[in-house]
Amino acid sequence: MIEKKLLELQSLMHGEGILINFSGRFSQGIIEELGEAVKNHMQADNRPKNDIYNVFAIFIEQTQNIKNYCASKESCSCYGKILNSGIVSIGKNEQGYFICSGNLVDNNDILALTQQLDKVKSLDKDGLKKLYKEQMKKGISIDDRGAGLGLIDMARKASTPPQYSVTPLDVQFSFFTLKVMV
Amino acid sequence: MEKLYIEPTKGTPEINFDPAQNLLILKGQSYPENAFKFYEPIFHWVDAYLEEVKEEVTIEINLPYINTSSSKCLMMLLDKFDEAYNQGKKITLNWYYDEENESELECAEEFQEDLTIPFNLFLVQED
Repeated sequence: MIEKKLLELQSLMHGEGILINFSGRFSQGIIEELGEAVKNHMQADNRPKNDIYNVFAIFIEQTQNIKNYCASKESCSCYGKILNSGIVSIGKNEQGYFICSGNLVDNNDILALTQQLDKVKSLDKDGLKKLYKEQMKKGISIDDRGAGLGLIDMARKASTPPQYSVTPLDVQFSFFTLKVMV
Repeated sequence: MEKLYIEPTKGTPEINFDPAQNLLILKGQSYPENAFKFYEPIFHWVDAYLEEVKEEVTIEINLPYINTSSSKCLMMLLDKFDEAYNQGKKITLNWYYDEENESELECAEEFQEDLTIPFNLFLVQED
């Protein structure tokens, strides 16, 4: 029964400290609305402006990364499956605020993604700034959905190095998650 | 030359580039779906403007939040002004930031490190 499941879902969210959760297709409109909701929630909670903008920024980079990844798979037969696989949760625990997102990733793309993340995780503040500036100097064109800066920027704004997980599902896909703390 | 005005939205800043006053204002949040698509017409306008402008130009920037792909576009935009400045055009950049938002100042300072145009940082008092 859905009524019972809703209660279970709510207890699960409360247990993890999740304030806002969205699962489904990320559109620019949804991203904007959720982003504003996060900001309003933290403002009402009297959080420092700096924390609010860091959480907001990480939320935007994570969700736009997923959206851009989906767009890059537009010609794939499994586009619909990837498109609806995104989930993002923003919450608060003893360590601070967390922004955690997940989506289906083609197994062929996993290595490049985890290599990039391992590199970012291994760098200190100065190393991240240097990498950010190098990436910033590369050109961008209308076909580039992103600037290749998102993961670096999130690591720079995070209080601890970003954490990721990869759960293999079948021959084609894995479920990838990324968690960033502020 | 025609004025360039783009109304702000949740995800895009207000663009108010007025050639009559030689005052170019960018104000608001920037995290559009496709940053390059948003900034491309602005690049074109600026290219044409820098070709013909003789007077002193003032750029005013106030961006409480800018995502990474917008940052890259803004760097491309400011590089155009930097190049024009190095060729003898008179250009000043005034960047307004909120004291309580450290990442805003950090972002401005990192642009400043890579530019040669006169770059002033101003604190704005928010309500």
